[in-house]
Parts: sequence; C-alpha cells; structure tokens
Amino acid sequence: MLQDYLVPKTIDQALSHLQNNNGKARIIAGGTDLLLDLKEGKKEAGILVDITRIPGLKVITMENGVVRIGSAATHNQVAKSDIIREKALVLAQAARSVGSLQIRNSGTVVGNVLNAQPAADTAVALTALGAVAEILSPAKKEYLPVEELYAGLGKSTLDSTSQLLTMVQFPALLKNQGSAFERLEQRKALALPMLNVAVVVSLSGEQFEWARIVMAPVGTKPVRATESEAILKGARATSELIEKAAGAAIAQANPRDSALRGSREYRLEVLPVLVKRALESAVAQAKGNF
Amino acid sequence: MKEYDVIGKNVRRLDAAEKATGTATFSTDFSLPGMLHGKVLRSPYPHAKIVSIDTAEAEKLPGVKAVATYQNTPREIFNTSATMAFTVPALEPVLDQYIFDNIVRYVGDEVAAVAAVSEKVAEAALELIKVEYEELPAIFDPLEAMEPGAPDIHPNCSAGKNIPGEIVKIPFGDVDKGFVESDVVFEGRFKLPVQKQAQLETQAAVAQVGADGKITVWSTTQTPHPSRSILAKVFGVPESKVRVLNPPYVGGGFGVRIGLSAKAEPIAVALAKLAGKPVKVVYSREDDFIASDTRHGGYVSIKLGSKKDGTFHAMELKGTLNTGAYCSFGCETPGVMGAMGLAVYRVPNQSYYGHSVYTNTSPAGAMRGFGNPQAMFAIESAVDMMAEKLGMDPLELRLKNIMQVGDPWCLPYPCQSTGLAECIEKGAGSIGWDNRNSLNQPGAKKLRGIGAGVGTHVSNAWPFCVDYDNAYLAVQQDGSIHLAAGVPDIGTGTSTTLPQLAAEALGVGLGEVSLTFGDTATTPFDIGSHASRTCYAAGTAVVAAANDARRQVLEYAGDFLNVPPERLDIKGSVIYITGQELGEQCAGTGVCQTGAGTSVCETGEKRNSVSLRDLAYHAHLRNKQFIGVGRIVPGNAPPWQAHFAEVEVDTETGQVKVLKVAAAHDVGKAINPCIVEGQIEGGVLMGVGYATSEEITYDAKGRQLHNSLHKYMLPTAEDAPEIDAIVVEASDPTGPFGAKGVGETGLVPTAGAIANAVYNATGIRFYEIPLTEEKVYRALKQRV
Repeated sequence: MLQDYLVPKTIDQALSHLQNNNGKARIIAGGTDLLLDLKEGKKEAGILVDITRIPGLKVITMENGVVRIGSAATHNQVAKSDIIREKALVLAQAARSVGSLQIRNSGTVVGNVLNAQPAADTAVALTALGAVAEILSPAKKEYLPVEELYAGLGKSTLDSTSQLLTMVQFPALLKNQGSAFERLEQRKALALPMLNVAVVVSLSGEQFEWARIVMAPVGTKPVRATESEAILKGARATSELIEKAAGAAIAQANPRDSALRGSREYRLEVLPVLVKRALESAVAQAKGNF
Repeated sequence: MKEYDVIGKNVRRLDAAEKATGTATFSTDFSLPGMLHGKVLRSPYPHAKIVSIDTAEAEKLPGVKAVATYQNTPREIFNTSATMAFTVPALEPVLDQYIFDNIVRYVGDEVAAVAAVSEKVAEAALELIKVEYEELPAIFDPLEAMEPGAPDIHPNCSAGKNIPGEIVKIPFGDVDKGFVESDVVFEGRFKLPVQKQAQLETQAAVAQVGADGKITVWSTTQTPHPSRSILAKVFGVPESKVRVLNPPYVGGGFGVRIGLSAKAEPIAVALAKLAGKPVKVVYSREDDFIASDTRHGGYVSIKLGSKKDGTFHAMELKGTLNTGAYCSFGCETPGVMGAMGLAVYRVPNQSYYGHSVYTNTSPAGAMRGFGNPQAMFAIESAVDMMAEKLGMDPLELRLKNIMQVGDPWCLPYPCQSTGLAECIEKGAGSIGWDNRNSLNQPGAKKLRGIGAGVGTHVSNAWPFCVDYDNAYLAVQQDGSIHLAAGVPDIGTGTSTTLPQLAAEALGVGLGEVSLTFGDTATTPFDIGSHASRTCYAAGTAVVAAANDARRQVLEYAGDFLNVPPERLDIKGSVIYITGQELGEQCAGTGVCQTGAGTSVCETGEKRNSVSLRDLAYHAHLRNKQFIGVGRIVPGNAPPWQAHFAEVEVDTETGQVKVLKVAAAHDVGKAINPCIVEGQIEGGVLMGVGYATSEEITYDAKGRQLHNSLHKYMLPTAEDAPEIDAIVVEASDPTGPFGAKGVGETGLVPTAGAIANAVYNATGIRFYEIPLTEEKVYRALKQRV
C-alpha cells in the first residue's frame, strides 16, 4: 500500500529518503511503467520518491563532446532536443517511437532503460551509442555501460530503493559519424516492436572506421551484432558489404516465437532488412555531414 | 434544388459543448446514493460443466453485499441481442442464454457476480469463489464444428450440427443454368477474421430496483425500448414497470449493444435485487474484449459467371460464419450478408446460402456493416479477378454491371436511387485511377498499388426485422419546441440531426428545439439506433411529428389570420401568408394594401403574419397546445459506396501501408454534411483496420490472444491514411428530405479495395485478411 509520496528538491534529499526508509521507498520518474507494476503487484513500494522536480535531472546538455541526459528527461524532450537530433539521431528516433504522445510526455528515457525490457527502444539506441550511466548509492558514485544495467528479463541491476541513476552520457557523434534506428511495428503508436535495430557508424572517407549494431528483441537484453560489426570494421562502405554484414546479424539473434508479434522464423528473416536499412541511413548521414 | 434553412448545413453539434468540457454524462460515470459495484467471475475454460460452486467465503468478505450465480438468479432463457424483440414471424428468435448457467461455453462466459462496496472488494471476493469444473470437449472453427463428431454446444439445432436458427437461402433466377450459360467463371473461398467494435465506452449498466419492484436501468444500450422488453421477460415484470435509459450519452456502439450491453444490465439488476441497493456494473476492457459480441469471422465462398463482354450472368454466394458460444445476431448476420452481397450487381441468376455455426469462442453478433463487409471482401476480390480474366478495366466492369434504379433485385423493396456511378467517377478521380499501372519503378522494394471496391447497404432493418419509430413534438407555450424520440445518441450525432430535421420540417430555428432521447419512460417506443437507421427511420418519424404539429399550427393560424391554412407557411418561427413578404406585423402599406393577401385578425387589425411564439401563447390562453405525433414504418433505401485505396507494400518486410482512401458515398441528402463525413472517415479507418491489422485469435486452450487495446491492433491516429470523404447526394424518395443511411457504410467495400490495391502492387491475391506483415511476407516469399 502506498503511504507517502515525496518530492525532493535535491539529489541528496532523494538519496536520504531512500536510505531512511530501508527499502520501502522507491524512485519514481514518469511512472508509466511503475504505476502499472504497482497496480498489478509486480513491484512494491510504501513510499514513492519523485525525482522530476530536482533541478538538473531534467536537463539535456552537451559539453566537451559529451552528451548528458538527466534521468528525469522525458521521451519527448529527448526526441525533440536539438542536441540529440544533431548529435545522436538514433536516440531521437528511438525515443519518438515509444508508446504514444501521452506516454512520451510522461515517461523518461532512463525509466525506459531501467524497466529492462529486452526491446526497450531507447536502451537499444543508447547501447549503440556506447552510453554510460552515472549511478549514486549512499556511499559511492559509479559508472556502468547501459547494457550492463540489464540483470535479466525485465530486471535491472539498479536497485531503485537504494540507488539513483542521475544521468546517462555518451560521446556526441562527429561529422564523420552517423546513426539510425529501424523498427518493425504493427502500428505507429502503442505497439511494442516486432524488431528494432540501432546503428552508429564512423567513416573515414569511404571506409568504416567502426560500427556498432544493436538489435532486439532477440535476447534478454539489447544484443550487439559483433560479427556484423567485425565485417564492417576497416572495410569499404559498399552496398554489397552492408548486405553481407546485415545478413551476418542473424547468427547472434535468438528471437522468440510470439503469437502476437511474429514467429521466430519471420523475425530472423526480416532482421537483416532492418540492419541493412539502418546501416544505409547511418552511412548516408555520415557522408552527408561532410 | 430546394434551399433549406437548417438541414444540409454543418451546424455545430448540440452535444459539442457538453462533450468538449467533460460534463456530458455516460453510464460509466453515472452514480446513485448507496450504489454498489458489481464484478463478474468468468470461465477460464472454453467448455465446461460447473460441478459445484461455493460462494461462502466470498459472502463473508467485509463489504460484499451479494453474490449471484445460476442458483439464485432467474432461469429465464433469453438472447442478449435485440433479436428477441424484433424477429419477424414465422421466424423464431433463438434463445440460448441465461444470466448464469451451469455450463460455460467460452473463455469469459459468466460464472458468478459479486456486488460490493467497491470494485476492489468485489474483485477480491471473486477470488474467494470456489468453482469445480468438469471440462468438456471444445471446438473453435465453424467448419470443424459442423462435423458429425464435434461436441454439441447447444441442444435443438434443427437446421444442422451446431447451426442456430434457420439457414438463409436467397434464390433469384436460375443459378445453375446461369453458370452453364456463362463464358467465364471464377470461384474462390475467402476467410474472414474476428474484428472487435472497440467502442470507447465499455459495456456498463446501473440498476435500481424500487420497493415496489419497479426496475430502472441506466446503460450503454443502443436500443432502450427493446432492451426493456428483454429485461421485463428475464425478471418477470410488466414492461410498464421497467425503465431503460441512457444517461443520456453512450460512448460508441458499432453494434456491440443492440439489445443488452452484453450482460451488464441483467447482472446489475440481478445483483441489485439480491443486495437491495443500486448496483453498477462496468466491464473492464478485457471483459469487453472477451465477453461481448464481436464481428463474425468465418468463410465466404463465391462463384461468379460472366459473359465474354463482361455482363455478369450468374453468382453464387455462400457464408459460413462463426457465431461463437451464443447466437446473438447469428441468424440475421448471414441474412444481411446474402441480401447485400446480391444487391450490388445486376446478375439475373443468383443464389445465396448462409448460416452461422456455434463454436467455443466469444459470441459474435452485430458490428458495423453486419455481414456486408465480409461479403464484399469476397465479392470485390472476385470482381477484380473476373476483370483480369476478361481483360477489362475493373472499373469499367463494375460500371457495366452495377444496379440501376428500377432494376429487379432480390430485396423486398425497390431500388429507387443510386449515385454509385457518380461515386465511382469521383473516387477514381481523387485516387488517380489512370495512374494505377505506372506507379512503380523497376526493381523497387516498396511497391505501390491502387484498388477499388464498391458496395451498398440498408438504411434500416425493415422488412427483415421489426422496425418502426414513433416521435412526438410539442410546441411549448412560448413557441419553442420539445421533441421526444426513443433512439439513443451513440456518438453519431442523432441528438443534433433529429432536431435539425424537426426544425426544417416545422420552419423554426435549430435553437428553438430541444430533444429528449434514449429513455423508455419519456419517449414513445422506438426500435433503436442500429442498421444505419437512426437519421433515416427515426428521422422519418420526427418529420412526421413535425408535419403533424405544423398542420395543427397552420389550422389555428388560419383561423387567427383569417386565411385558408393552405396559404400559410412557416419560416424562422413566423407563420406568414405565402406570396407576401415575411416580416413584421403589417403596417397597412405595401403589399397588404393590394388586398391580395391581407387578412383581418380576430382583433380587427390587419396582418399578414404571426410569430409562433404569439400564436402558441394565444392558443395556451384558450386551453390548447400543438402536439404532433409521428408513427411510421420506414421504407428502405440503398446507400452506395465506392472506395479507392492506394497502398504501399514493403516487399522486404511484408508490411502494407495504406496511403490514401478515397471514399465516395451516396448518402442521399446529407442532413449534416460534417457529421456524414465524420461517419465516413471513422468507417474507413475501421475498414483499414479490418483489412490490415485487426483480429482476435485464440490459443490452443481457447483463450483470446488479443484481449486488450494494447494487443489488439486498432489503427491509431498516426496510422490513419489520408481519407478523402466524398459525399454524393442521390436523393431517395423514402428518406427524410431524401436522406439515406450512412452509419455502417464507411467500411463495406474497404477491405476489398485494399486487397485489390495490394494485388495491383504485388500481383499477389489474398484470400484472407487482415493483411498482416508476416502473412504478406510469406506470400511474397512463396512467389519467389
């Protein structure tokens, strides 16, 4: 049963609320997942600690080539942010595809990550961007890559009754870099992805310096297509090569059969199409930036 | 063309301010002092016998006031649909439901219900009810359910294994001879999905039982008067002691509550009787999805024969529909499927054979289009394939064969109007039909295509069902107008269009008219809002009532103005002598001085007009009121539609995107064009969902996989294609000011048009909808 709803003004206050309540208090930001989980009894909380009024946590900044997104920033804030659109388009696209307008106005990108669903759109994009999360515990501050925030299906390594994720950060994409998000969905809003793919590429002239390819839901968390990445690394960015790399992605994908969102077979067959399209867009962007 | 003052204009809806500001009342937010909340325990099995049911623990839970099961509620058999109240003899309504039974026939079937002080307590109590089930064999496909070894879902199916009611047979000409004489014959079988109305407001009812036994029910029904008949029978009370009303708004219907709102009303009444307090039952979205009527899925077979020159010569249509665990509208839907399917084209030799089949799935009943979209998906696909066989343009083939005014057809009333050719012409222009074979570059991965489909429908259910309307219109003592009609406003704008019709017929401004509607106690009997009938049929009664009142007004005014009533007319609430300028009391100059139209009033003054306000008060002071009564049996009239869809098929993923639908509709006179366009747009989007994404499927244990708005792929605003709603007005002599039905017509030909567009894009013919990505992808792969 919910007994109290606290609205701290500082990060320290938020942490001390957690500490003082010994596991009974839990962080809430947008609440779009948490409130449903509480109602359905999947999670428990006697006290909710609302972090959305803490100055700084709603902010998106870029400093010295590093983009930072506060943990109270909503999907729509991220999707519409000039910084994100210019320096990490893949994330703007991913944030735009979550839920519906109302959900995007309330739900936060960090909340999307911490809900730990395998195909959380922004987690897929942040993984491709190599994002790192700043996590505060009463005694320490630590940095963890976004993909390490997944402890299992629907489970986060972060304990929201004692820890606070304050922001995620990643390097802003450079002029020779590009990114793209592709999503196979049954409708344009309020639909979980049948597949989603996020790609970040770095070019040197006509060659790939490197590429990061992340795909979901093909495992318990966003999955890196490292074999595809290896094919691309250092090679000339031709459509044949992209096709080959895209095809290789299925080796690391293990999608499930879903009566609602497509068979395993179908998803495996269509996955390379999404990877190919994302790579093509990202490459075009990287080239266009020159 | 006649100039109208009130109709044909986009007047602002009279419910707009209430709905926009959130003050409009719906059943879901209706409340009474001391009211309890009811929740329903539903079967987890698709077919089972209840061996025992123990409610003791639930009754002990604090806050629980009543627990209802088959053991303590009426055992009167009924049908939740209004068929119970409007089946025309010699047909008999199929009665196959109890409030609760000791056999459950689908996952979601009602087992028990609890009334408690809150929904939460009621839900907790449900978990304390102990039920022991003995599972019975279950069957989910209608064709399998007809096989000899299949389990019997209901006894007494005299027409055939698990077939409720009677088989519908529509003979016309000699179909066997027709096929022999045809040069080209196409034959195919099509499979249809289960679609859900997904109306905004779930099923809901609040019931109050008075100390005198009088029952009042506020609910979401589309048909308060027939619902009253059903409830009176179930609870064994005179109809005069049951009042059913909307409070007064209903959050959509699309056919899901023609009759009772699933079982919300009888469960609320049963609990209210047991608890001695008012009880409110509001279905959760899951309840609504699994335990209220859906569209019929099933199979439609078609055989079409044509002469070489493209003259259709024979058509045979067969429908086998899945009506689920209870009949509901399972007898009428195959009837409309056949009647409408056979009415679009002039084919001298036709036959239809159709029926429903019981299975252990959620009941199927009425849904917008009522069998017609199922038929037209098959027919319009077949016509396109015939065009290809004949080497003709599909539009040319349609134009050659579509029904014309006066053509013989299978329907029991004449075709007196059609604007279909104009619909085809305008729709083709909007979509760019002539470009359809030059939309794609060689090697393109995303292929575009354009397809067309046409159709018709009814404007009410006469003479297939009992179908009549009453209305009364009383001129108030100040000359304003009170109108009463028994139809609800389920969101379709009835509470605006009916006053528009009354105002126009009477000659007063819309602002003078107020309407009481959707209430059995304050309105005369009306069959209700279904079958695209409200504006057309209830509107006819409203116009009749207005004309009756008008006649009384003119007679009285004739005496008052000392002229024969035939010389009088009413405009803007002023009764005036025709041929004279409308206006103020005559000053004794101008036209009055000519003597031609001058009258001398009782008072001795000369005047050529009198306001309705003055006249009504004059009458009141002399103990008289003008009260018009309209009592009509509507005729019927065919609305016509031509839909043109442009699609883009992603050949690498199988996704079908509908880019545009040009929907040209002959609606007769559009009483409120904006409302008409809204109906068309809403219907088209429902048709797009039907064609591309919406379906309820089942797992092996008979559980509905699509049981929420999250899982059920209703198109969202972002998925809506461009919709060009084109209104064509081929006035019908039977409708009020020439109006015809429009409510259901928006999705009649949509699926056929979209499937034909997909064929135009890809060369792949689909015999099954919805065209979901995996289904389309698989077909594209198989071709390669």
